[in-house]
Amino acid sequence: MDFAALGLTLRLASFTTLCLLLLATPLAAWIANGNGVARRIVQAAVALPLVLPPTVLGFYLLIGLGPTTALGRTLITLIGHPLAFTFSGLLIGSMIYSLPFAVQPLVVAFASVDRPTLEVASVLGASHFTVFRRITLPLSRMSFLTAAVLTFAHTVGEFGIVLMVGGDIPGITRTLSISIFDDVQELRYTDANLTAAALVALSFLALLIVYGRGNRRSELA
Amino acid sequence: MTLSAPWSILFGPSGSGKSSILRAACGLIPSADVTFTQTLPHPPDQPQSLDRVPTHRRNLAYAPQGAVLFPHLTVRQNVSFATDIRRQPRSVSIDSALELFNLTPLAHRLPRDLSGGERQRVNLARAFAVPAPHLILLDEPFTGVDRSLRDLLLPRMQQLVAQQGIPVLSVTHDIEEALILNAEVIRLEQGHIVDQGPASQVLADERTRMLGILNA
Repeated sequence: MDFAALGLTLRLASFTTLCLLLLATPLAAWIANGNGVARRIVQAAVALPLVLPPTVLGFYLLIGLGPTTALGRTLITLIGHPLAFTFSGLLIGSMIYSLPFAVQPLVVAFASVDRPTLEVASVLGASHFTVFRRITLPLSRMSFLTAAVLTFAHTVGEFGIVLMVGGDIPGITRTLSISIFDDVQELRYTDANLTAAALVALSFLALLIVYGRGNRRSELA
Repeated sequence: MTLSAPWSILFGPSGSGKSSILRAACGLIPSADVTFTQTLPHPPDQPQSLDRVPTHRRNLAYAPQGAVLFPHLTVRQNVSFATDIRRQPRSVSIDSALELFNLTPLAHRLPRDLSGGERQRVNLARAFAVPAPHLILLDEPFTGVDRSLRDLLLPRMQQLVAQQGIPVLSVTHDIEEALILNAEVIRLEQGHIVDQGPASQVLADERTRMLGILNA
């Protein structure tokens, strides 16, 4: 097994999960707190990575973050180098690719908090932020676990966008899924099998955590 | 509608708009075309409109219909919620509120472990533990509470609000409750006030009817 790829994959998945949860929490709270057209447009945009081929996202990121666009030129000026084929570029790509997996569970959880409960808290003196912090967040805590596990597992398994944005640079942008692709290309089936089996086990464990906590919640209800 | 007594009761059949008035007072019905004013007891003695004051700044105590508790908080944490969010030290009033509603032995339980009547008492205790509210609003406060306990709690509650000088507006369709409190009754029918005055006067017909049933 390519341990450098394993380390990189785990690092990428951890950073993606952490950054996405920080970004997804306020975004999901905003989406869940109303029915306006703007919210529905943003919700649809957030869900786009579910239906688009990863290569499409990767292609636009490659172009958008490159020197041919104003955004890309600004970023290059700010950080001194292009984001493509770097860990940071990979992180941005992963965040966009896994965005719906972090946002959707939180939107569902925030929207399902009983409205009268929020109203009472407000009448008793809690501001919108306090209601969110003291009532909505604690009542949605299990959904944060779901969002984190799904985001982590989805990032571990991504391929197309990593290949487009990151290329295949050993130790820098070669993740496990690309390592399997390389092994198969070079007919190293034993290595490919070992890595693939590890990914299957990791993904199964992640889903077991999600479904396990779902059963626990139904027992409590 | 003007509240002049320390304890006023909105009385009327289901669907007469009693709960809606409480919700509007809390600012929970934004589209309601109403203006609430309060007359401050001390100078400046000016009516202060609450219409544009956001819900959380109205400084109200509220026990909604159906005992809406915070499911992740214990009984004590539910009761001390208003104090905690104001970052005030947990005062004796929390213990007093728990004591008042016979909740001290249940203080560390979660709402899911309580019976309907116990949940309702937590709902009331939480409203009575709000630090110095302008008004206490109680929506069908004794739903699920057995009558003997209700008869025990009502005088205690009346005494407490009289001591603290906090006005109460409660909603009920229970004639007994209105007569026991002997408070000012505002009678509602189909969203309109049809009568207002002392319970013995406004509910005289119902009182006579009840006495007739008891004497039969």
